[in-house]
Amino acid sequence: MEALLAPVETVAAFPLPELAVAVPSEEAVAEVLGEDWAFVYRNRWHLLGGAAVTVALTATSLLLGFLAGFPAGAIETYGSGYSRSLVRKLGVLLRGTPILVIMIYAFFVLPIGIVVGPVVAVLEGLDSLLAPTPLAVPAVGEAFVAATIALGLRSAAYQSQIFRGALASVGEGQMRAARSVGMSRLGAIRHVIVPQALRRSVPGFQNEFTIVLKDTSIAFAIGLGELLKRSNDLFTQQTTAVLEIILAASLIYFVLTFGTNRGLDYASERYAIPGEGT
Amino acid sequence: MSRETAGTADDREPGTDPLLRIEDVRKSYGSEEVLRDVSMTVDRGDVEVLVGPSGSGKSTLLQCINRLTEVDSGRIFLEDLEITAPETDPNEVRGRIGMVFQDINLFTHLTARKNVTLGLEKVRGMDREEARLRADEELDRVGLADQADSYPAQLSGGQKQRVGIARALAMDPELMLFDEPTSALDPELSNEVLAVMEQLVEEGMTMVVVTHEMRFARGGATGITFLDEGEIVERGPPETLFENPDHERTARFFESIRHD
Repeated sequence: MEALLAPVETVAAFPLPELAVAVPSEEAVAEVLGEDWAFVYRNRWHLLGGAAVTVALTATSLLLGFLAGFPAGAIETYGSGYSRSLVRKLGVLLRGTPILVIMIYAFFVLPIGIVVGPVVAVLEGLDSLLAPTPLAVPAVGEAFVAATIALGLRSAAYQSQIFRGALASVGEGQMRAARSVGMSRLGAIRHVIVPQALRRSVPGFQNEFTIVLKDTSIAFAIGLGELLKRSNDLFTQQTTAVLEIILAASLIYFVLTFGTNRGLDYASERYAIPGEGT
Repeated sequence: MSRETAGTADDREPGTDPLLRIEDVRKSYGSEEVLRDVSMTVDRGDVEVLVGPSGSGKSTLLQCINRLTEVDSGRIFLEDLEITAPETDPNEVRGRIGMVFQDINLFTHLTARKNVTLGLEKVRGMDREEARLRADEELDRVGLADQADSYPAQLSGGQKQRVGIARALAMDPELMLFDEPTSALDPELSNEVLAVMEQLVEEGMTMVVVTHEMRFARGGATGITFLDEGEIVERGPPETLFENPDHERTARFFESIRHD
Protein backbone atom coordinates (compact mmCIF):
# COMPACT_ATOMS: atom_id res chain seq x y z
CA MET A 1 0.00 0.00 0.00
CA GLU A 2 3.08 2.19 -0.01
CA ALA A 3 3.62 4.87 -2.62
CA LEU A 4 0.28 4.44 -4.24
CA LEU A 5 0.45 7.42 -6.48
CA ALA A 6 3.39 9.08 -8.09
CA PRO A 7 6.14 7.39 -6.10
CA VAL A 8 8.85 9.81 -5.13
CA GLU A 9 11.34 8.09 -7.37
CA THR A 10 9.38 9.14 -10.45
CA VAL A 11 9.51 12.75 -9.37
CA ALA A 12 13.16 12.63 -8.44
CA ALA A 13 14.17 10.59 -11.47
CA PHE A 14 12.64 13.12 -13.80
CA PRO A 15 15.62 15.09 -15.12
CA LEU A 16 15.45 18.51 -13.48
CA PRO A 17 16.65 21.45 -15.49
CA GLU A 18 19.85 23.05 -14.29
CA LEU A 19 18.89 25.81 -11.91
CA ALA A 20 20.54 29.18 -12.33
CA VAL A 21 20.67 29.61 -8.55
CA ALA A 22 22.91 27.08 -6.91
CA VAL A 23 20.99 24.58 -4.76
CA PRO A 24 22.44 24.68 -1.24
CA SER A 25 24.18 21.54 -0.08
CA GLU A 26 22.86 19.51 2.83
CA GLU A 27 26.06 20.30 4.76
CA ALA A 28 25.45 24.02 4.35
CA VAL A 29 21.86 23.66 5.60
CA ALA A 30 23.03 21.57 8.57
CA GLU A 31 25.64 24.15 9.46
CA VAL A 32 23.22 27.10 9.42
CA LEU A 33 19.92 25.55 10.60
CA GLY A 34 20.91 22.40 12.39
CA GLU A 35 20.76 18.67 11.75
CA ASP A 36 16.93 18.40 11.93
CA TRP A 37 16.32 20.96 9.22
CA ALA A 38 18.98 19.23 7.15
CA PHE A 39 16.92 16.05 7.53
CA VAL A 40 13.83 17.88 6.24
CA TYR A 41 15.88 19.29 3.40
CA ARG A 42 17.34 15.91 2.47
CA ASN A 43 13.82 14.48 2.24
CA ARG A 44 12.26 17.41 0.45
CA TRP A 45 11.29 15.37 -2.60
CA HIS A 46 9.60 12.82 -0.41
CA LEU A 47 7.49 15.59 1.16
CA LEU A 48 6.81 17.32 -2.14
CA GLY A 49 5.77 13.99 -3.64
CA GLY A 50 3.26 13.73 -0.79
CA ALA A 51 2.10 17.25 -1.58
CA ALA A 52 1.56 16.14 -5.18
CA VAL A 53 -0.65 13.30 -3.95
CA THR A 54 -2.51 15.80 -1.75
CA VAL A 55 -3.10 18.10 -4.72
CA ALA A 56 -4.16 15.20 -6.96
CA LEU A 57 -6.56 13.89 -4.31
CA THR A 58 -8.02 17.36 -3.81
CA ALA A 59 -8.58 17.69 -7.54
CA THR A 60 -10.24 14.30 -8.01
CA SER A 61 -12.39 14.76 -4.89
CA LEU A 62 -13.58 18.23 -5.89
CA LEU A 63 -14.28 16.98 -9.39
CA LEU A 64 -16.35 14.08 -8.12
CA GLY A 65 -17.97 16.46 -5.65
CA PHE A 66 -18.89 18.84 -8.44
CA LEU A 67 -20.10 16.16 -10.84
CA ALA A 68 -22.38 14.72 -8.16
CA GLY A 69 -23.04 17.88 -6.16
CA PHE A 70 -24.17 20.18 -8.94
CA PRO A 71 -26.93 17.89 -10.23
CA ALA A 72 -27.87 17.15 -6.63
CA GLY A 73 -28.25 20.87 -5.93
CA ALA A 74 -30.31 21.27 -9.11
CA ILE A 75 -32.54 18.36 -8.14
CA GLU A 76 -33.04 19.84 -4.68
CA THR A 77 -34.01 23.14 -6.28
CA TYR A 78 -36.04 22.05 -9.30
CA GLY A 79 -36.72 18.37 -8.80
CA SER A 80 -39.88 16.95 -7.38
CA GLY A 81 -41.12 14.07 -5.32
CA TYR A 82 -38.89 11.07 -4.88
CA SER A 83 -35.76 12.34 -6.58
CA ARG A 84 -35.68 15.42 -4.39
CA SER A 85 -36.37 13.61 -1.16
CA LEU A 86 -33.82 10.90 -1.95
CA VAL A 87 -31.12 13.47 -2.72
CA ARG A 88 -31.94 15.38 0.45
CA LYS A 89 -31.74 12.27 2.61
CA LEU A 90 -28.43 11.21 1.09
CA GLY A 91 -27.08 14.69 1.74
CA VAL A 92 -28.19 14.66 5.35
CA LEU A 93 -26.61 11.24 5.83
CA LEU A 94 -23.28 12.25 4.30
CA ARG A 95 -23.11 15.57 6.08
CA GLY A 96 -23.98 13.90 9.34
CA THR A 97 -21.20 11.32 9.22
CA PRO A 98 -17.59 12.09 10.21
CA ILE A 99 -15.28 12.10 7.23
CA LEU A 100 -12.98 9.57 8.88
CA VAL A 101 -15.89 7.16 9.23
CA ILE A 102 -16.89 7.67 5.58
CA MET A 103 -13.31 7.04 4.53
CA ILE A 104 -13.05 3.82 6.49
CA TYR A 105 -16.30 2.64 4.91
CA ALA A 106 -14.99 3.50 1.48
CA PHE A 107 -11.72 1.69 2.03
CA PHE A 108 -12.73 -1.39 4.02
CA VAL A 109 -16.38 -1.91 3.20
CA LEU A 110 -16.89 -0.81 -0.40
CA PRO A 111 -15.69 -3.33 -2.98
CA ILE A 112 -13.13 -0.81 -4.22
CA GLY A 113 -11.52 -3.38 -6.50
CA ILE A 114 -14.54 -3.21 -8.78
CA VAL A 115 -14.04 0.54 -9.12
CA VAL A 116 -10.27 0.43 -9.29
CA GLY A 117 -10.18 -2.18 -12.05
CA PRO A 118 -11.70 -0.02 -14.79
CA VAL A 119 -9.92 3.11 -13.55
CA VAL A 120 -6.57 1.35 -13.73
CA ALA A 121 -7.43 -0.05 -17.15
CA VAL A 122 -8.21 3.44 -18.44
CA LEU A 123 -5.05 4.90 -16.92
CA GLU A 124 -2.90 2.11 -18.30
CA GLY A 125 -4.44 2.70 -21.69
CA LEU A 126 -3.55 6.37 -21.39
CA ASP A 127 -0.08 5.44 -20.23
CA SER A 128 0.58 3.26 -23.26
CA LEU A 129 -0.66 6.08 -25.49
CA LEU A 130 1.88 8.35 -23.84
CA ALA A 131 4.61 5.74 -24.07
CA PRO A 132 6.69 7.42 -26.79
CA THR A 133 6.84 10.59 -24.64
CA PRO A 134 8.63 11.08 -21.33
CA LEU A 135 5.25 11.70 -19.67
CA ALA A 136 3.75 8.95 -17.59
CA VAL A 137 0.42 8.39 -15.89
CA PRO A 138 1.01 7.69 -12.22
CA ALA A 139 -0.17 4.38 -10.84
CA VAL A 140 -3.36 4.62 -8.83
CA GLY A 141 -4.02 2.46 -5.84
CA GLU A 142 -7.04 1.42 -3.87
CA ALA A 143 -6.42 3.89 -1.07
CA PHE A 144 -6.40 6.78 -3.52
CA VAL A 145 -9.67 5.67 -5.08
CA ALA A 146 -11.27 5.07 -1.69
CA ALA A 147 -10.14 8.49 -0.47
CA THR A 148 -11.50 10.13 -3.63
CA ILE A 149 -14.86 8.42 -3.17
CA ALA A 150 -15.07 9.39 0.50
CA LEU A 151 -13.93 13.00 0.11
CA GLY A 152 -15.79 13.37 -3.18
CA LEU A 153 -19.15 12.17 -1.90
CA ARG A 154 -18.85 14.18 1.28
CA SER A 155 -17.92 17.22 -0.79
CA ALA A 156 -20.88 16.55 -3.12
CA ALA A 157 -23.16 16.69 -0.11
CA TYR A 158 -21.81 20.13 0.76
CA GLN A 159 -21.45 21.40 -2.81
CA SER A 160 -25.09 20.52 -3.44
CA GLN A 161 -25.99 23.02 -0.73
CA ILE A 162 -23.74 25.69 -2.23
CA PHE A 163 -25.38 25.25 -5.63
CA ARG A 164 -28.87 24.91 -4.21
CA GLY A 165 -28.45 28.23 -2.45
CA ALA A 166 -26.96 29.88 -5.52
CA LEU A 167 -29.70 28.58 -7.84
CA ALA A 168 -32.40 29.67 -5.42
CA SER A 169 -30.82 33.12 -5.10
CA VAL A 170 -31.39 33.85 -8.78
CA GLY A 171 -34.72 35.66 -8.71
CA GLU A 172 -38.00 34.16 -9.84
CA GLY A 173 -38.27 37.00 -12.36
CA GLN A 174 -35.30 35.70 -14.38
CA MET A 175 -37.22 32.51 -15.06
CA ARG A 176 -40.38 34.43 -15.98
CA ALA A 177 -38.43 36.69 -18.34
CA ALA A 178 -36.75 33.73 -20.02
CA ARG A 179 -40.05 31.89 -20.39
CA SER A 180 -41.69 35.03 -21.77
CA VAL A 181 -39.41 35.02 -24.81
CA GLY A 182 -40.38 31.41 -25.43
CA MET A 183 -37.54 29.50 -23.78
CA SER A 184 -38.30 26.14 -22.25
CA ARG A 185 -37.84 25.66 -18.53
CA LEU A 186 -34.71 23.63 -19.13
CA GLY A 187 -33.38 26.19 -21.60
CA ALA A 188 -34.01 28.96 -19.08
CA ILE A 189 -32.20 27.05 -16.35
CA ARG A 190 -29.29 26.33 -18.65
CA HIS A 191 -28.82 29.70 -20.32
CA VAL A 192 -30.07 32.11 -17.69
CA ILE A 193 -30.16 30.63 -14.19
CA VAL A 194 -27.06 28.42 -14.13
CA PRO A 195 -24.58 31.01 -15.49
CA GLN A 196 -25.68 33.43 -12.79
CA ALA A 197 -25.76 30.78 -10.07
CA LEU A 198 -22.26 29.51 -10.87
CA ARG A 199 -20.83 32.98 -10.38
CA ARG A 200 -22.62 33.32 -7.08
CA SER A 201 -21.32 29.98 -5.86
CA VAL A 202 -17.64 30.94 -6.09
CA PRO A 203 -17.26 32.15 -2.46
CA GLY A 204 -18.92 29.00 -1.13
CA PHE A 205 -16.82 26.89 -3.44
CA GLN A 206 -13.65 28.58 -2.20
CA ASN A 207 -14.51 27.47 1.31
CA GLU A 208 -15.24 23.97 0.14
CA PHE A 209 -11.96 23.82 -1.73
CA THR A 210 -10.01 24.71 1.38
CA ILE A 211 -11.90 22.18 3.48
CA VAL A 212 -11.34 19.35 1.01
CA LEU A 213 -7.66 20.17 0.63
CA LYS A 214 -7.10 20.09 4.36
CA ASP A 215 -9.20 16.97 4.83
CA THR A 216 -7.08 15.01 2.39
CA SER A 217 -4.81 14.59 5.42
CA ILE A 218 -7.41 12.20 6.83
CA ALA A 219 -6.46 9.73 4.09
CA PHE A 220 -3.45 9.14 6.35
CA ALA A 221 -5.80 6.83 8.25
CA ILE A 222 -6.12 4.45 5.30
CA GLY A 223 -2.41 4.59 4.55
CA LEU A 224 -2.44 6.83 1.50
CA GLY A 225 0.98 8.40 1.00
CA GLU A 226 -0.17 12.02 1.00
CA LEU A 227 1.63 14.88 2.66
CA LEU A 228 0.76 14.09 6.28
CA LYS A 229 1.43 10.36 5.92
CA ARG A 230 4.83 11.08 4.46
CA SER A 231 5.59 13.60 7.19
CA ASN A 232 4.74 10.90 9.68
CA ASP A 233 7.03 8.43 7.91
CA LEU A 234 9.84 10.95 8.25
CA PHE A 235 9.46 11.89 11.89
CA THR A 236 9.18 8.28 13.00
CA GLN A 237 12.60 7.88 11.38
CA GLN A 238 14.08 10.92 13.09
CA THR A 239 12.05 11.64 16.21
CA THR A 240 13.95 14.80 17.07
CA ALA A 241 12.70 16.46 13.86
CA VAL A 242 8.94 16.32 14.52
CA LEU A 243 8.57 20.11 14.85
CA GLU A 244 10.69 20.83 11.78
CA ILE A 245 8.85 18.31 9.62
CA ILE A 246 5.40 19.35 10.72
CA LEU A 247 6.31 23.02 10.19
CA ALA A 248 7.44 22.20 6.68
CA ALA A 249 4.21 20.28 6.00
CA SER A 250 2.15 23.13 7.43
CA LEU A 251 3.96 25.58 5.21
CA ILE A 252 3.15 23.45 2.17
CA TYR A 253 -0.53 23.22 3.17
CA PHE A 254 -0.64 26.96 3.69
CA VAL A 255 0.97 27.76 0.35
CA LEU A 256 -1.52 25.46 -1.38
CA THR A 257 -4.64 26.89 0.28
CA PHE A 258 -3.51 30.49 0.18
CA GLY A 259 -2.27 30.32 -3.39
CA THR A 260 -5.39 28.66 -4.71
CA ASN A 261 -7.70 30.99 -2.84
CA ARG A 262 -5.89 33.95 -4.33
CA GLY A 263 -6.25 32.37 -7.75
CA LEU A 264 -9.98 31.88 -7.21
CA ASP A 265 -10.32 35.47 -5.94
CA TYR A 266 -8.70 36.64 -9.13
CA ALA A 267 -10.94 34.42 -11.25
CA SER A 268 -14.09 35.62 -9.53
CA GLU A 269 -13.09 39.22 -10.12
CA ARG A 270 -12.16 38.48 -13.68
CA TYR A 271 -15.51 36.83 -14.40
CA ALA A 272 -17.63 39.13 -12.25
CA ILE A 273 -20.53 40.76 -14.05
CA PRO A 274 -19.47 44.34 -14.86
CA GLY A 275 -21.21 46.89 -12.67
CA GLU A 276 -22.02 44.35 -9.98
CA GLY A 277 -20.02 44.08 -6.80
CA THR A 278 -18.27 40.81 -6.06
CA MET B 1 -48.56 50.52 -39.98
CA SER B 2 -49.89 54.01 -39.20
CA ARG B 3 -52.74 54.82 -36.87
CA GLU B 4 -54.78 55.93 -39.87
CA THR B 5 -54.86 52.53 -41.51
CA ALA B 6 -55.52 50.84 -38.20
CA GLY B 7 -58.28 53.29 -37.43
CA THR B 8 -59.20 54.52 -33.99
CA ALA B 9 -61.68 53.34 -31.45
CA ASP B 10 -63.96 56.21 -32.35
CA ASP B 11 -64.52 55.51 -36.01
CA ARG B 12 -64.45 51.76 -35.99
CA GLU B 13 -66.84 49.13 -34.83
CA PRO B 14 -65.30 47.14 -32.01
CA GLY B 15 -64.61 43.53 -32.77
CA THR B 16 -64.02 44.00 -36.48
CA ASP B 17 -60.46 42.68 -36.40
CA PRO B 18 -60.03 40.86 -33.11
CA LEU B 19 -56.51 39.73 -32.23
CA LEU B 20 -57.03 38.77 -28.60
CA ARG B 21 -60.23 37.31 -27.22
CA ILE B 22 -60.71 36.56 -23.55
CA GLU B 23 -63.79 34.55 -22.63
CA ASP B 24 -65.09 34.06 -19.10
CA VAL B 25 -61.69 33.66 -17.49
CA ARG B 26 -61.61 32.65 -13.86
CA LYS B 27 -58.62 32.25 -11.62
CA SER B 28 -58.31 31.64 -7.90
CA TYR B 29 -55.37 31.36 -5.59
CA GLY B 30 -56.64 29.12 -2.83
CA SER B 31 -59.94 30.53 -1.69
CA GLU B 32 -59.19 33.96 -3.11
CA GLU B 33 -60.82 34.67 -6.45
CA VAL B 34 -58.44 36.83 -8.46
CA LEU B 35 -60.35 36.86 -11.75
CA ARG B 36 -64.10 36.35 -12.01
CA ASP B 37 -65.59 35.82 -15.43
CA VAL B 38 -63.37 38.28 -17.23
CA SER B 39 -64.18 38.70 -20.92
CA MET B 40 -62.79 41.19 -23.37
CA THR B 41 -61.62 41.58 -26.94
CA VAL B 42 -58.65 43.53 -28.20
CA ASP B 43 -58.56 44.38 -31.87
CA ARG B 44 -55.43 44.45 -33.95
CA GLY B 45 -53.75 47.82 -33.53
CA ASP B 46 -55.63 48.58 -30.33
CA VAL B 47 -53.98 49.76 -27.16
CA GLU B 48 -55.95 48.56 -24.18
CA VAL B 49 -55.02 50.00 -20.82
CA LEU B 50 -55.97 48.03 -17.73
CA VAL B 51 -56.38 50.04 -14.57
CA GLY B 52 -57.59 49.23 -11.12
CA PRO B 53 -56.53 49.11 -7.50
CA SER B 54 -53.73 46.76 -6.54
CA GLY B 55 -54.98 43.25 -6.14
CA SER B 56 -57.69 43.77 -8.74
CA GLY B 57 -56.28 41.03 -10.97
CA LYS B 58 -54.67 43.10 -13.74
CA SER B 59 -51.26 41.43 -13.57
CA THR B 60 -52.76 37.99 -13.23
CA LEU B 61 -54.81 38.59 -16.35
CA LEU B 62 -51.66 39.54 -18.29
CA GLN B 63 -49.86 36.45 -17.05
CA CYS B 64 -52.79 34.28 -18.12
CA ILE B 65 -52.56 35.74 -21.62
CA ASN B 66 -49.05 34.37 -22.17
CA ARG B 67 -49.56 31.41 -19.88
CA LEU B 68 -47.10 32.35 -17.22
CA THR B 69 -50.17 31.59 -15.13
CA GLU B 70 -52.79 28.98 -16.04
CA VAL B 71 -56.48 29.90 -15.94
CA ASP B 72 -58.90 27.81 -13.87
CA SER B 73 -61.63 28.09 -16.48
CA GLY B 74 -62.50 30.15 -19.51
CA ARG B 75 -60.63 30.52 -22.78
CA ILE B 76 -58.21 32.94 -24.34
CA PHE B 77 -57.57 33.15 -28.08
CA LEU B 78 -54.83 34.81 -30.07
CA GLU B 79 -56.47 34.99 -33.47
CA ASP B 80 -57.38 31.33 -34.06
CA LEU B 81 -54.93 29.85 -31.60
CA GLU B 82 -56.56 28.86 -28.35
CA ILE B 83 -53.88 29.92 -25.90
CA THR B 84 -55.50 28.18 -22.96
CA ALA B 85 -56.00 24.81 -24.69
CA PRO B 86 -53.99 22.13 -22.89
CA GLU B 87 -52.47 20.92 -26.17
CA THR B 88 -51.20 24.41 -27.07
CA ASP B 89 -47.48 24.77 -26.57
CA PRO B 90 -46.96 27.70 -24.18
CA ASN B 91 -43.64 28.44 -25.87
CA GLU B 92 -45.44 28.99 -29.18
CA VAL B 93 -47.81 31.41 -27.46
CA ARG B 94 -44.96 33.26 -25.80
CA GLY B 95 -43.12 33.46 -29.09
CA ARG B 96 -46.03 35.47 -30.50
CA ILE B 97 -46.59 37.66 -27.45
CA GLY B 98 -43.97 39.98 -25.98
CA MET B 99 -43.95 40.83 -22.31
CA VAL B 100 -42.43 43.68 -20.34
CA PHE B 101 -42.26 43.39 -16.57
CA GLN B 102 -42.59 45.76 -13.68
CA ASP B 103 -39.39 44.38 -12.16
CA ILE B 104 -37.74 44.49 -15.63
CA ASN B 105 -35.87 41.20 -15.19
CA LEU B 106 -33.03 41.72 -17.60
CA PHE B 107 -30.63 38.78 -17.60
CA THR B 108 -28.02 40.26 -15.29
CA HIS B 109 -25.09 38.24 -16.62
CA LEU B 110 -25.55 39.39 -20.21
CA THR B 111 -24.95 42.67 -22.04
CA ALA B 112 -27.89 44.63 -23.38
CA ARG B 113 -27.25 43.16 -26.81
CA LYS B 114 -27.05 39.58 -25.53
CA ASN B 115 -30.24 40.08 -23.56
CA VAL B 116 -31.88 40.61 -26.92
CA THR B 117 -30.02 37.94 -28.88
CA LEU B 118 -30.53 35.10 -26.37
CA GLY B 119 -34.13 34.46 -27.40
CA LEU B 120 -33.30 34.89 -31.08
CA GLU B 121 -30.50 32.34 -30.92
CA LYS B 122 -31.95 29.79 -28.50
CA VAL B 123 -35.62 30.00 -29.41
CA ARG B 124 -35.59 31.14 -33.05
CA GLY B 125 -32.36 29.34 -33.89
CA MET B 126 -30.92 32.41 -35.58
CA ASP B 127 -27.20 32.37 -36.17
CA ARG B 128 -25.11 34.66 -34.06
CA GLU B 129 -24.37 37.35 -36.62
CA GLU B 130 -27.97 37.63 -37.79
CA ALA B 131 -29.18 37.82 -34.19
CA ARG B 132 -26.62 40.51 -33.46
CA LEU B 133 -27.82 42.66 -36.34
CA ARG B 134 -31.43 42.18 -35.29
CA ALA B 135 -30.61 43.07 -31.68
CA ASP B 136 -28.77 46.21 -32.69
CA GLU B 137 -31.78 47.22 -34.78
CA GLU B 138 -34.11 46.81 -31.81
CA LEU B 139 -31.75 48.60 -29.43
CA ASP B 140 -31.61 51.44 -31.91
CA ARG B 141 -35.41 51.46 -32.01
CA VAL B 142 -35.52 52.12 -28.24
CA GLY B 143 -32.67 54.65 -28.50
CA LEU B 144 -29.96 52.52 -26.90
CA ALA B 145 -27.69 51.67 -29.81
CA ASP B 146 -24.76 53.13 -27.86
CA GLN B 147 -25.38 50.91 -24.81
CA ALA B 148 -25.35 47.56 -26.59
CA ASP B 149 -22.25 46.39 -24.73
CA SER B 150 -23.32 47.60 -21.29
CA TYR B 151 -24.41 45.18 -18.61
CA PRO B 152 -27.73 45.73 -16.83
CA ALA B 153 -26.00 46.88 -13.65
CA GLN B 154 -24.35 49.65 -15.66
CA LEU B 155 -27.68 51.01 -16.97
CA SER B 156 -30.25 53.30 -15.39
CA GLY B 157 -33.69 51.95 -14.58
CA GLY B 158 -35.21 53.61 -17.62
CA GLN B 159 -32.50 52.25 -19.91
CA LYS B 160 -32.96 48.77 -18.47
CA GLN B 161 -36.66 48.86 -19.14
CA ARG B 162 -36.04 50.01 -22.70
CA VAL B 163 -33.72 47.03 -23.19
CA GLY B 164 -36.55 44.91 -21.77
CA ILE B 165 -38.84 46.31 -24.46
CA ALA B 166 -36.22 45.69 -27.17
CA ARG B 167 -35.84 42.11 -25.95
CA ALA B 168 -39.56 41.54 -26.35
CA LEU B 169 -39.80 43.36 -29.70
CA ALA B 170 -36.98 41.35 -31.23
CA MET B 171 -39.17 38.26 -31.21
CA ASP B 172 -41.56 40.06 -33.60
CA PRO B 173 -44.59 39.77 -31.35
CA GLU B 174 -48.11 40.28 -32.63
CA LEU B 175 -49.12 41.52 -29.21
CA MET B 176 -47.17 43.28 -26.47
CA LEU B 177 -48.08 43.00 -22.81
CA PHE B 178 -46.82 45.65 -20.39
CA ASP B 179 -47.12 44.91 -16.70
CA GLU B 180 -46.69 48.24 -14.91
CA PRO B 181 -43.54 49.00 -16.92
CA THR B 182 -42.80 52.29 -15.16
CA SER B 183 -43.99 51.78 -11.62
CA ALA B 184 -40.53 50.77 -10.38
CA LEU B 185 -38.95 53.86 -11.94
CA ASP B 186 -38.44 57.45 -10.88
CA PRO B 187 -40.74 59.86 -12.75
CA GLU B 188 -37.97 61.30 -14.92
CA LEU B 189 -36.91 57.77 -15.91
CA SER B 190 -40.50 56.79 -16.60
CA ASN B 191 -40.74 59.38 -19.33
CA GLU B 192 -38.13 57.77 -21.55
CA VAL B 193 -39.95 54.44 -21.26
CA LEU B 194 -43.31 56.03 -21.95
CA ALA B 195 -41.83 57.75 -24.99
CA VAL B 196 -40.81 54.36 -26.41
CA MET B 197 -44.26 52.98 -25.70
CA GLU B 198 -45.90 55.94 -27.40
CA GLN B 199 -43.68 55.33 -30.40
CA LEU B 200 -44.95 51.74 -30.51
CA VAL B 201 -48.51 53.02 -30.38
CA GLU B 202 -47.74 55.13 -33.40
CA GLU B 203 -46.26 52.17 -35.23
CA GLY B 204 -49.59 50.40 -34.74
CA MET B 205 -48.48 47.73 -32.27
CA THR B 206 -51.29 45.95 -30.47
CA MET B 207 -50.74 46.42 -26.76
CA VAL B 208 -52.31 45.54 -23.45
CA VAL B 209 -50.88 47.80 -20.79
CA VAL B 210 -51.30 47.71 -17.04
CA THR B 211 -50.31 51.15 -15.81
CA HIS B 212 -51.15 54.00 -13.50
CA GLU B 213 -49.71 56.51 -15.96
CA MET B 214 -52.88 58.31 -16.89
CA ARG B 215 -51.07 60.59 -19.27
CA PHE B 216 -50.15 57.57 -21.37
CA ALA B 217 -53.70 56.22 -21.09
CA ARG B 218 -55.15 59.52 -22.22
CA GLY B 219 -52.79 59.95 -25.13
CA GLY B 220 -52.24 56.43 -26.39
CA ALA B 221 -55.06 54.14 -25.33
CA THR B 222 -57.89 53.16 -27.63
CA GLY B 223 -59.73 51.67 -24.69
CA ILE B 224 -59.56 51.61 -20.93
CA THR B 225 -60.69 48.71 -18.81
CA PHE B 226 -61.29 49.26 -15.13
CA LEU B 227 -60.92 46.14 -13.02
CA ASP B 228 -61.82 45.83 -9.39
CA GLU B 229 -61.80 42.70 -7.24
CA GLY B 230 -61.27 40.49 -10.24
CA GLU B 231 -64.13 41.86 -12.28
CA ILE B 232 -64.33 44.22 -15.21
CA VAL B 233 -66.35 47.08 -13.78
CA GLU B 234 -66.35 49.25 -16.82
CA ARG B 235 -64.76 49.50 -20.22
CA GLY B 236 -64.74 52.27 -22.79
CA PRO B 237 -62.75 54.92 -24.62
CA PRO B 238 -60.46 57.03 -22.40
CA GLU B 239 -62.56 60.21 -22.51
CA THR B 240 -65.69 58.41 -21.31
CA LEU B 241 -63.95 56.66 -18.45
CA PHE B 242 -62.05 59.69 -17.32
CA GLU B 243 -64.81 62.28 -17.62
CA ASN B 244 -68.04 60.39 -17.53
CA PRO B 245 -67.81 56.95 -15.99
CA ASP B 246 -71.00 54.96 -15.53
CA HIS B 247 -69.97 53.55 -12.23
CA GLU B 248 -69.34 55.16 -8.92
CA ARG B 249 -66.37 52.80 -8.28
CA THR B 250 -64.66 53.93 -11.48
CA ALA B 251 -65.14 57.58 -10.65
CA ARG B 252 -63.78 57.07 -7.16
CA PHE B 253 -60.73 55.23 -8.48
CA PHE B 254 -59.79 57.93 -10.98
CA GLU B 255 -60.39 60.54 -8.30
CA SER B 256 -58.00 58.73 -5.96
CA ILE B 257 -55.14 58.38 -8.44
CA ARG B 258 -55.51 61.96 -9.62
CA HIS B 259 -54.16 63.04 -6.26
CA ASP B 260 -51.17 60.73 -6.32
